[in-house]
Formats: sequence, structure tokens, C-alpha cells
Amino acid sequence: MRINRLKLTNFRNHKETEVHFAPHLNLITGANGSGKTNLIDAIHYLCMSRSFVATSDRYVANHDEKYFMVDGDFTGEIRSSFKVSCSYSRGEGKKIFVNDSPLERLSDLIGMVPIVVLSPEDLALTSEGPSERRSFLDSMISQISPKYLRDLIDYRRIRKQRNKLLQEFRGPLQTLRSYLEPWDLQLVETGARLIHKRAEVLERFKTYLALQYRTISGLDLKPSLVYQTITDATDSIDKISERYNEELDKNFEKEVDREQTIIGPHRDEVVFYLGDMELRNYGSQGQHRLFSMALKMAQLFYYSDELDDLPIMLLDDVFGNLDQQKTDIITETLTKHTGQTFITSASERPFTISQFDGNSSNSWFDVHNGTVTNKY
Amino acid sequence: MQITSEALERAIEELAKLPGTGRKSAQRIAIHLLKQSDERVINLADALVHLKKSVQRCSTCGTITDSDPCTICSNAKRDNGVVCVVEEFQDVYIIEKTNEFRGRYHVLGGVISPLENIGPDDVRIKELLERIGGDEEHITEIILALNPDAEGEATSYYINKLLLNYEVNVTRIAYGIPMGTELEFIDEATLSRAFASRTSF
Repeated sequence: MRINRLKLTNFRNHKETEVHFAPHLNLITGANGSGKTNLIDAIHYLCMSRSFVATSDRYVANHDEKYFMVDGDFTGEIRSSFKVSCSYSRGEGKKIFVNDSPLERLSDLIGMVPIVVLSPEDLALTSEGPSERRSFLDSMISQISPKYLRDLIDYRRIRKQRNKLLQEFRGPLQTLRSYLEPWDLQLVETGARLIHKRAEVLERFKTYLALQYRTISGLDLKPSLVYQTITDATDSIDKISERYNEELDKNFEKEVDREQTIIGPHRDEVVFYLGDMELRNYGSQGQHRLFSMALKMAQLFYYSDELDDLPIMLLDDVFGNLDQQKTDIITETLTKHTGQTFITSASERPFTISQFDGNSSNSWFDVHNGTVTNKY
Repeated sequence: MQITSEALERAIEELAKLPGTGRKSAQRIAIHLLKQSDERVINLADALVHLKKSVQRCSTCGTITDSDPCTICSNAKRDNGVVCVVEEFQDVYIIEKTNEFRGRYHVLGGVISPLENIGPDDVRIKELLERIGGDEEHITEIILALNPDAEGEATSYYINKLLLNYEVNVTRIAYGIPMGTELEFIDEATLSRAFASRTSF
């Protein structure tokens, strides 16, 4: 998959920008704060309906504007050309159009253009709390399985309903139980499917992770992961549901006490290891950086085996900390397995003009104050 | 700005409260009405007052009607053994248009949703049980036709559980594929549900 043209209006510091990208590799250089990350964030927006930088859509609009627009033309191996546009205004919220017809659900966009992002924020994946790993896992699976995404959305809704009951119900516990039951049935049904899918994907993902860590670190320390959930993750769906029901039953009073759902995939954890060292608590800064990078690289290689269309890869400012050799290894392996690659960098150092000049598959852009110029 | 007609201003304000009508359209409608004959405007006003005054809920099924019981509940030709449970009266209208269903209805007037503070007692479930347990109708089958979202499903489960205590057959409408749609345009979730609830040929 690749994006041929991108147009931004009031998108962060881009008042009005239109760019035609090269089919293979696109390098975007510029000083800090010039708007290079915003450019690739807009691509992310068209693939995932949200920014990978800003937490809320409100902050995406150029600071004195109340709306923004992004649109892009994509081409895939399987799908012929199509256009995705996204508009946001304070009053009307977010709207997404594919070939000018509105999408009923924003979630229908996910997976249309698979995308993998590598950024300095990835460090949180291995060093911070379990929710970071759950959202990485959810986002990775959602892009290849619309059914998983639907289950995830349903599960969240069911859990909210259930939590509201636990918070506000006043009356005999027996009545609360009978009111919870219709939600429990659905919680277990969707929750068990989420757990089963997570286990299945992680089992395959392990191999990719091990390989990628070895490639970028050049070391023989074997990375591994353990998926912790309410049951043995290798169980069948029926077995998971059974255990799930048992756990809900066993923890009923605790849930009443805490006024929230405490059993389910929303409390899952994925623990990473290097050899037999638990990474989160014992890993060095360098090991965290390499491991989180390996996670994203593994996601890319997993996608390229799983999907007919190779994903778009965004590398946001990740080469600053790496030496020439690692940079070369990564760019080399990446470009073979992506549909199209975007690299932002504050320094021009690891790149050579000869890769871009006179090469129609690669382009080099320079960004200055929200204005983009095509250098080579 | 100086207003020369308080009456016009008031009409505009009221019209602008209608769904899909902004102040500009409200202004256009009000000015249009002003130019019509007295008779036409009185007819319109009368129809609106009549709508509010004479439309009521059927005391049996809960759908909207001009006379109680409604024309469906009082129609002797309809099968009073089968009752289709729907969320709102619009759903009755939609199912009626198919001309397929000859039983009667039960309108819940909502679905269970704790987030919106709607519990089982806030929808007409008690009334449904009374109908099933009562002597007037001889209900043998309940068809649950609620929306397949989390709230509709929860309501269906809840009703089904309660009906275990009654001698009545509970069915639900199938999860399926819309007619005239090609398989490749169906989302995966719908398709896998349709597979799970496939019927023999």
C-alpha cells in the first residue's frame, strides 16, 4: 500500500500543504518544530482516524483554527486507487470519507491501509504500565482483524454498562446479580474471543520478535514474552469462557465492593523477557530502546506475511540515537518489506544524496515552518 | 435590529426548535406561512394539535394509535398466539410494511441501558409478562426482534431468562446478510455471525 498525494488544511502547523510522495522511500528533514512529524502524523490520521502524537483531535487543528482537513490518494496491490478524506470541526466532530462517501463508523477505516509507526514514544511500550502493551496489541490485531476490532468496541461498551450497574445499583444483591447477568453473558462471549485472538496472535508474533531483536541488536540474548490473562492462554474458546465465568462468579463480591469490572482482557498483561531477565524492571535504557524497536519491526514483518498489501511504515525521528551500521541495516530490511516508507530526521547525516537524486522511487523533502519543499 | 412583529419572531423561535431546522429555514417557513390563506394555516395548526391530542399509546401493545386498543390489537384476523417484541413503535411500522408478520406486537418503549439510567422496570417488560400470563390472549410464541447491539442483546437475554418460567416458545429473528448485497461487501463480523446462525437448506 502507498500514498501518492497528501493534502493538509490547518493540520497543526500546516496551513495549506500538498505533497506528492515517491512510491518507495520518502525522507523528510527539517529542524525541530518545523512540522515534519505533523506531515507523517497526517498519514497516520488517514489510516487510523487518529493522531499518533496528539491525545485529542482538538489539539490537531492549527492553533487559531476550529477545523482541519486531511485527504490523500492511496494505491494498493489488491485494491486499485482510492481516496480517503478526514475532516474535523469543533461543532461537528470527525468525519471520514472514502471516495467521497461518508463512513458510517470510523472504525471501518482501520485496516484499509495497514500502517506501522516507529517513534521515540515506543519506549513506553516496554518501560511503562500494562495498558501501553494492551493498546499496542489491540492496535496491531485490529488492523488485520475487523472482527477483533468490533469485539473490542463491543467489549468496552458492555463493560461500561456493567460498571454503571456496579456503581449505582442500590438494592438486594440477588437483584443486582440478575441485572448483571445479560451483560455478563456478553462480556464473557466477546471477552473470551479477545483473549483467544490475543493468544493466537502473540504465539505467532514471538518468532518475529526474536528474529528482529537479533537483527537490530546483533546480540544473541533471546527475547521472549508471556501473555498473562484470566486463564491459560492456550485454551480453547469454550475453556476460556468457562474459566471467565468461574472467575466472575468468584469475584462477584469484590466487584460489588470496588464498583467496577475487575475480571477480563482489559486487565491482561504481556511480560517481556531478555533471556530470563524481566525487561520492564531490570532492562537497561539501551535494551528498552532496542526491544521496543524490535516490537515495531516485528509488527511490520508479521503484517507483511499476513497481509496481501504491504504496510506503510512511518519512522519518526528514530535514527538520532543509532549508529551508521544499525541505520543501514534497518533502512535496508525495511524498504524490502514495506509498501512505502517515511523517515523523519532532524539531521541529514545518515543519508546520502545519491539515494535520492535521480532516483524516481525515492524523494527527499525539507520542511521549514510548515512549508514543504521537494529537494531531490 | 428593530422587531416589527413579536408574533413572527415567536413563530420563528418555535419552528427553529424542530429537528433539522435552523434559524434560517425557520424564518423561511414562517414567512411562507404568513403568505398562505387563513384556512391553510389553521388546517396545519389543527393537524398538529390533533396529532398531540389524539395520538396515544395502545394499552395492550404500547404502539402509537388514535384509538385504544390499536387497529392491530383489535383486528380479529391476526394471530393472537404470536407476539413480536420490538424496541419502539417505528419498528412496528417497519415490520408491518413487509406484510409478512400476522401476529401481534409488544413495544418495549426502550431497551435496558444502565448508562442512560434505563433498568428493566423502565421498559414495558412487566406488561409483557402480564399479557403472557393473562387469560385474554393465548400467547404461544414470543419473537424477540430487538437491535443486535449490546443493549438490545442484554434486553433479549433478560426477557428470555424471565420467560423460562412461562409456557411459551421464545424465538429471535436471525442474524443474516442483507438481501441484494454481495458477500464481498459484508463486514467480517456480520458474515461470521451469519455463518454461526446458518439454517439447513
